[in-house]
Amino acid sequence: MIKQNIRVSNKLGLHARAATKLVREASAYECEILLRREGQQVDAKSIMGIMMLAASEGTELEIVLNGTDEKLALDSILDLFEKRFGEEE
Amino acid sequence: MLSLYGAGIGKGIAIGRAFIVNRPEFDIPQYSLREEEVDAEVDRFQAAIDATRDQLRQIESDIPHDAPPESKSFIDAYLLMLQDPLIAEQPVETIREQHCNAEWALSRHSESLVNAFDQMQDEYLREKKNDVRQITNRVQHNLLKIPQHQLEAGMEQLENRVVISHELSPADTVQFKNQKILAFVTDLGGPISHTAILARSLNIPAVLGLHGATRYVQHNELVIVDGKRGTIVVDPDDGVLAKYRERRQFVFKRKQQLGELKDSLPLTRDGQKIILLANVELPEDLEAAQRSNAQGVGLYRTEYLFMNRAEPPSEQEQFRAYSKVVSRMGAPVTIRTLDLGADKQVDGGRGEAPTNPALGLRAVRLCLREPALFRPQLRAVLRASALGPTQIMIPMVSSLNELDQVLDMIAETKEELRHDGEKFDDKVPIGGMVEVPAAAVAADLFAHKLDFLSIGTNDLIQYTLAIDRIDDAVNYLYDPLHPSVLRLIKLTIDAGASAGIPVTMCGEMAGDARYTKLLLGLGLRIFSMDSVSLLEVKKKVLEADLRILPDKINEIMQLADSNTIRDRVVALEDL
Repeated sequence: MIKQNIRVSNKLGLHARAATKLVREASAYECEILLRREGQQVDAKSIMGIMMLAASEGTELEIVLNGTDEKLALDSILDLFEKRFGEEE
Repeated sequence: MLSLYGAGIGKGIAIGRAFIVNRPEFDIPQYSLREEEVDAEVDRFQAAIDATRDQLRQIESDIPHDAPPESKSFIDAYLLMLQDPLIAEQPVETIREQHCNAEWALSRHSESLVNAFDQMQDEYLREKKNDVRQITNRVQHNLLKIPQHQLEAGMEQLENRVVISHELSPADTVQFKNQKILAFVTDLGGPISHTAILARSLNIPAVLGLHGATRYVQHNELVIVDGKRGTIVVDPDDGVLAKYRERRQFVFKRKQQLGELKDSLPLTRDGQKIILLANVELPEDLEAAQRSNAQGVGLYRTEYLFMNRAEPPSEQEQFRAYSKVVSRMGAPVTIRTLDLGADKQVDGGRGEAPTNPALGLRAVRLCLREPALFRPQLRAVLRASALGPTQIMIPMVSSLNELDQVLDMIAETKEELRHDGEKFDDKVPIGGMVEVPAAAVAADLFAHKLDFLSIGTNDLIQYTLAIDRIDDAVNYLYDPLHPSVLRLIKLTIDAGASAGIPVTMCGEMAGDARYTKLLLGLGLRIFSMDSVSLLEVKKKVLEADLRILPDKINEIMQLADSNTIRDRVVALEDL
């Protein structure tokens, strides 16, 4: 199991478009992927779960991965966050 | 014969036979399963999810190529939500744990999702509850083996029919897009619903929120839909039918004539360029603005973002709304900062109701008093200015001191944004609305501090004549042609001209074609109005001759009696 903190740095936050990208990416992996925010925990493969986090720009999240391909999954998800989900500046 | 009333969309009249599109009503059954029935129930649930997915994919592949890209993304979002573990997997666990039927398990999960979304602060997220409902209803229909609606049999039945439905979902409306439907009538929905947007984009009339429409209208019955008045007449008698046919013909001809003006430039007969802009409230109004070839947005009202909610919208939510309008318009957009107070109160308005709200803490006064409300808006507007030509417009300026405070605040906000590394247009023009007589009388003083002036006639008339337009006892005195009003308008236009800054008019007078020639003669060159009025005003611009008008107007300005003024303004039509 891996745990790591990440910060939402894209302007629009984890709303519709970014949430969609995140779910598509997360769903490509076998491992369980959870996002936590202040006691709230959601499945990163659930579009509605992610939307319910209402994570706007600047929100700190904890990502928890558990499964055989957890390292690969973490790398690609971190990459998505770093690239701000491909949003233009 | 029966007349019913709702919210009218579009100006046209449609006469045709009703087609009732009823989503069959259903009850959610509840029963327990024996241990050995559970696996089959899980299979039945999964089959319903699969069937729903196939139906949505079918709808997606049927979308015509020229449909707006949003149509496809609606369906994409639906598909993703359908596969969400919260909808596709959790009910399975409930079936296994509680040995209950699939419909019941799904409805329990969908209800709790709907409740969770309903409690979100963000308006956008709150609206997601409707998506949840519509998707899970589709699955329920498949579980219960009832059709999604009778139309699965074939959409072509809708041609030349008046579609009457309880409500229409985005998935329905996407399917209706390429049918030749005459009009829509729904029990639910209002002017900003998907159905309203669809009706506007198809340019057909609709009457929405007409409770009971599906109960009072029979399938195949003859119906008249009047979008302008928001009425429908069911089974009209011959006299009424003849009258409406005549009106339909008249509206059609007029629309055709005006439609021909769409692509012509707004030039007067002597070749002077006039600028015609649109007033916009919802981002959806943009489409109408673009359809009527508006040269920009002269008034983007931002109040709708703040209304019907407990907390003001975040900077980010505002930025999303403003940037959408700025980047889509592709022409200058004038964003008016918050004009709350008076007739538009925020929900849960703080403190006691003021005794005289029109003269109280409203618009820019409220904004200066509540920087926590104003600053996020200024930040959002400035950030949007990086995405396309934007102007900031301050409502209800009345004192120079107050104006200085606003200008300082904008300068500070720019400094803050620079510090945060946010992009914005440093030269974003800042204008003030002239709607208090004090600002009109001293327009020259205000003009020196601003990049443009915009005359808001509704309030200017109300304040000048001391008349509350919604007070039935005095509203007969409300008179745009009162000599005092005309003088204040002239003072403002002249002050702008001598300061070398543009003057716009964005009140109702600007969109009233009866006054177009008068205003042109007074020197107004930029008009901003509801898109529906734009072509009528353009027609008057094309007929006007600025070599003759100013003299005629000077004569009118000498007159004292409103009735004489009115007659002379009417006579301008024959010039």
